[in-house]
Amino acid sequence: MSTAASLHQSRKRKNGVMMTLCVVAAGIGLAWLALILGALLYKGLAGVSFSVFTEMTPPPGDAGGLLNAIYGSIVMTIIGIIVGTPIGVLAGTYMAEYGRFSKLTTVVRFINDILLSAPSIIIGLFVYELMVRPMGHFSAIAGAVALAILVIPVVVRTTEDMLNLVPNALREAGTAIGAPRWVVIRSVAYRAALSGIVTGILLAIARISGETAPLLFTALNNQFWSSNLNAPMASLPVTIFQFALSPYEEWQQLAWTGALIITLTVLALSIFARSLTGRREDK
Amino acid sequence: MSQMLSPDMTIAAEAVTKAKIEVKNLNFYYGQSKALKDITLSLPERSVTAFIGPSGCGKSTLLRVFNRIYELYPKQTAEGQVLLDGQNVLDRSQDLNLLRTKIGMVFQKPTPFPMSIYENIAFGVRLYEKISKAEMDGRVEQALKRAALWTEVKDKLNASGLSLSGGQQQRLCIARTVAVKPEVILLDEPASALDPLSTAKIEELIDELQADYTIVIVTHNMQQAARVSKQTAFMYLGELVEFDRTEKIFTSPREKRTQDYITGRFG
Repeated sequence: MSTAASLHQSRKRKNGVMMTLCVVAAGIGLAWLALILGALLYKGLAGVSFSVFTEMTPPPGDAGGLLNAIYGSIVMTIIGIIVGTPIGVLAGTYMAEYGRFSKLTTVVRFINDILLSAPSIIIGLFVYELMVRPMGHFSAIAGAVALAILVIPVVVRTTEDMLNLVPNALREAGTAIGAPRWVVIRSVAYRAALSGIVTGILLAIARISGETAPLLFTALNNQFWSSNLNAPMASLPVTIFQFALSPYEEWQQLAWTGALIITLTVLALSIFARSLTGRREDK
Repeated sequence: MSQMLSPDMTIAAEAVTKAKIEVKNLNFYYGQSKALKDITLSLPERSVTAFIGPSGCGKSTLLRVFNRIYELYPKQTAEGQVLLDGQNVLDRSQDLNLLRTKIGMVFQKPTPFPMSIYENIAFGVRLYEKISKAEMDGRVEQALKRAALWTEVKDKLNASGLSLSGGQQQRLCIARTVAVKPEVILLDEPASALDPLSTAKIEELIDELQADYTIVIVTHNMQQAARVSKQTAFMYLGELVEFDRTEKIFTSPREKRTQDYITGRFG
């Protein structure tokens, strides 16, 4: 009786200690996030104005906006997604459907995981050697290719994972009714995994829209408006990098504002991605 | 005729109807391990045959050979013959997709496709037939009526198939199978995930469907086998122990192992 009671007491104490440690750790993690967001909002909001979205990046000491950088980021992100998504989805489909039991899948998954965690600056250098050097100049298209290479492993991974979550019984049911393999994949497996795959693509957008390193060696930057894909193009992350390091106050302010814009965009994408997965789990 | 009711088990019942499926010396392997041992039996047309036996005895495996669904997975191989109307479905040259339109299958867990109730049924029909919207509407209605689901869903055909209850989902799967006009319907424990009321409905349905289809049902539930089937095959450890008219199996089985199983002494 007394042993049981003392055991109970000591377990309660241990539980209390563990819980405190966990709460403190969670608090520390969250505190940094709150500090970063707070600083961004405080410093960034001060510079938000109409001209940020309508004017070009200014020369030092002048007022201006981020229009060319925002435009460049959107263009290169879209091209990166358009190039990277089909490759990623198809590779993921091979791994989860056609090649589920093959050796090649194991190898591809291993390499893909390495690519997933490869420092993005390596990707930038790779595309520099692959495209920028042969072409003789920096270009938006090289930047977009670098981003596409970052998109692929993210999409491969999520597509494979999401397709693997589709119950085999569903594939068997589709097959049993006489549907060929590709119809089962297209009409049954994709449909069942759709929200998960879309989530993966959204997360890939979120990932590449903040990448600086792969663009430094590829798209470089551009002080002026340029919609030529074969020429250097401005982007938000590179502009932030350049402006934040500069001694000019106007540039520093624009860097804060740009950082805020990227963060809010990524936040919105993540929340949207979350709501998609959430809806699926409800079913 | 009567001397053909011999222990070789090739004929069950007073086989007035012709055999729809004939299994001859079938062996099945999961990798190295042998799951079916020299199975020979023949299933009469337009009649319900039940496979009973303890878990792992090979009854589902046997069912999965009939439409070669096992081929979705590597290292599963079948040897021997399974004749559907005299044609060996295990032939390499057999077109699998066509075979599967002739042999429908319903699974243990309801497996509605992630689409509307209407589309769940139209999906299979559309694979091999080009028909007008009006004809398709007719086919969907007919299939749902056949599966005794029409009155429950006729006002919400565009709702997701996943929104139905478990029993309704299973009847939707039966409707979907019936809609492609198969000749044989394989039921793999179709009621084991359902409540007694839904089970009763499914059994009623099976009773009605046997007028037009050759039905094979795998079940753990011996009462169910006794209720719905004309022939029963008792399997144990990959062997076909006994195959005969259902009433014979349940009242005076020839084999001691069958006797032991149906009286609950093992399994």
